[in-house]
Amino acid sequence: MLYEGARPIRIIRPVSFSPVDLFRELRGLWQYRDLFYTLTVHRIKVRYKQSVLGLAWAILQPLSLMLIYTVIFSVIAKVPSEGVPYAVFAYAALLPWTFFSSSLTNATTGLVSHTQLVTKVYFAREILPLTYVSAAVFDFVIASSFLIALFFYYGVGLTIYALYAIPIFLLLAALATAFSLFLSAVQVRFRDIGVAMPLLLQIWMFATPVVYPLSAVPQRYRGLYALNPTVGVIENFRRVVLQGVAPDHYSLAISAIIAAILLPLAYLYFKRVEATMADII
Amino acid sequence: MIDLELKKVSKKYRIRREVDTNASFIRKLLSLRKRKEDFWALKDISFSVQRAEALGIIGHNGAGKSTILKLLSRITTPSAGEIMINGRLSALIEVGSGFHPELTGRENIYLNGSILGMLRREITKKLDSIVEFAELRQFIDTPVKRYSSGMYVRLGFSIAAHLDPDILLLDEVLAVGDAAFQQKCIQRITELKKNGTTIVFISHDLRAVQKLCDRVILLKSGQIEADGDPQETIALYESSSRNLHAQARAAGVQEASREAVVTSLSFYNDEDQECLSFETGMPMKAVLKYEVYKPLVDVIFEVQFYSQEGRLCSFFSSETLPGRIDLQPGEGTIVFDCSSVGLGPGVYFIDTGIRNRQAPFGIDIDWRKRCLAVRIDYDRHLRDTFYMPYICRHSPAPKTFADASREKLIETI
Repeated sequence: MLYEGARPIRIIRPVSFSPVDLFRELRGLWQYRDLFYTLTVHRIKVRYKQSVLGLAWAILQPLSLMLIYTVIFSVIAKVPSEGVPYAVFAYAALLPWTFFSSSLTNATTGLVSHTQLVTKVYFAREILPLTYVSAAVFDFVIASSFLIALFFYYGVGLTIYALYAIPIFLLLAALATAFSLFLSAVQVRFRDIGVAMPLLLQIWMFATPVVYPLSAVPQRYRGLYALNPTVGVIENFRRVVLQGVAPDHYSLAISAIIAAILLPLAYLYFKRVEATMADII
Repeated sequence: MIDLELKKVSKKYRIRREVDTNASFIRKLLSLRKRKEDFWALKDISFSVQRAEALGIIGHNGAGKSTILKLLSRITTPSAGEIMINGRLSALIEVGSGFHPELTGRENIYLNGSILGMLRREITKKLDSIVEFAELRQFIDTPVKRYSSGMYVRLGFSIAAHLDPDILLLDEVLAVGDAAFQQKCIQRITELKKNGTTIVFISHDLRAVQKLCDRVILLKSGQIEADGDPQETIALYESSSRNLHAQARAAGVQEASREAVVTSLSFYNDEDQECLSFETGMPMKAVLKYEVYKPLVDVIFEVQFYSQEGRLCSFFSSETLPGRIDLQPGEGTIVFDCSSVGLGPGVYFIDTGIRNRQAPFGIDIDWRKRCLAVRIDYDRHLRDTFYMPYICRHSPAPKTFADASREKLIETI
């Protein structure tokens, strides 16, 4: 009876999740920080264990895409690249995009691949998609080193505005988290999502200024185009690191507002599905 | 002091009738809206557990045992009612489900430990003790994919056994590993119990329940059938399980066959007492009673033993009788007399039924799936998986002349 005060009392009731519970859930999530850390390290370790190229894969993915797109859009199609070599231009956007798309792909399929765990043990289930996002952050950091190498090779200089890349990346991470939570929860019920993901992400990428500059989009479509939350983030990421100028606050604000709305909604939806996840997974 | 309380807890599952996979896309879409059937796995269950009490929960498959386990461990939420848990609760269920084969034993201890809710520094502190308990010191930096199944189980249990919860949920886990390790597990749990840990033990293993629990609840089709003294409740369960008719009714299973049915199955030990726990190497008798409504030709009676993982381990079959069995309407009995049980220790689930010898496999006249569970215990004869009856004789080498004379010499001195 020594820890009388330390014994947590928990009441379990049927699902009735209201926004008020959001903070309580977030506090509960904090208790799983060690699991979050361990699982993230685990994801990274497992991915590179028994692979010959190891960490190089984190770079190879955006690099090979860069080579393909450079051949198609620079050598063949002559897409404008705002005065910088197309290879750097493409890589500077493929880097954050690869982070975003691999977060979503892995998180979506990742949750249902843990059926064994989900039906046997309780832990805050959002940890699973979240660790896929954080493992993708690690890959992003590794792959960033290659961007620096490209800058040296092509003689592109960084300015103080490149520091904007950090908050811009955090915003992208918030978006990736929101979509990962939402899509992985939907995937539990409808496995169609996992199958549709590669196609969806392909379309999404071409609807985002990755292989072409934002300036190439006709003015009259810009309003609609900017509603895609990844537009402001990816374009501005490239802008601050490559052009070395201040970000476009208008398009960034749109992305930020969308993220601020989507993230709590996605989390609430996830927690709702979580309550009976083990029954339907 | 109440550590655990269930107030009018119900759990409903929705069963959607599977649409034919060949059905058109439109029909599949429409079926999404089709009314689903409700199945109440638990209905208005209320009970509470005192601090340091050990409660056992028993019942047939489908009675709602595992649903209670899932609710208490928060894997799923109730459809109605309220559950109060006072203290840190850990579930010791199917150990090792969180292992990753590529990672080493040590890495898996951290991974599994944190999944079960331990903090990293807590794991670091207990690491030596966990490794010691699992007897895996020299393999701890080997990837677990190279482990034997026994090592796997030992590591899993060892992690879970170091959780130090206020309330411990136990599943069939006690029936794993070799005899020595099982003994160690039971010892550890008894230790926890002595230190005031509240225990809820959900199992088919009646003997283990009786040994460990102060009180037993018997579940029947999602409701509490009996609640009280372990010996009485277990006796009630044992006597009710024989009647397969009542069991099928309780589980809501349609008794489809109009040709013949198995009405009861009971097991007897060497003293001719009805029971459900045996020892390897000791005799066992299974008595199957049936009722026939239509004349049948060339039938087989079978009693099959399945492991907990669902593997068919052994069976009794009337096929061994010379000649074929034809049945006339009326009642009858068939007895399988086994002089020494060859099954290794563990809990085995029983399937029994009547089928036509000519009919393709799976088409039966009457078949009762997982209708009973018997527990097999270790006997001094057995150290591992298989038992082979044998007699041991010893013929020592005859003494040589030199030995004999030396002995004589010693004697004379």
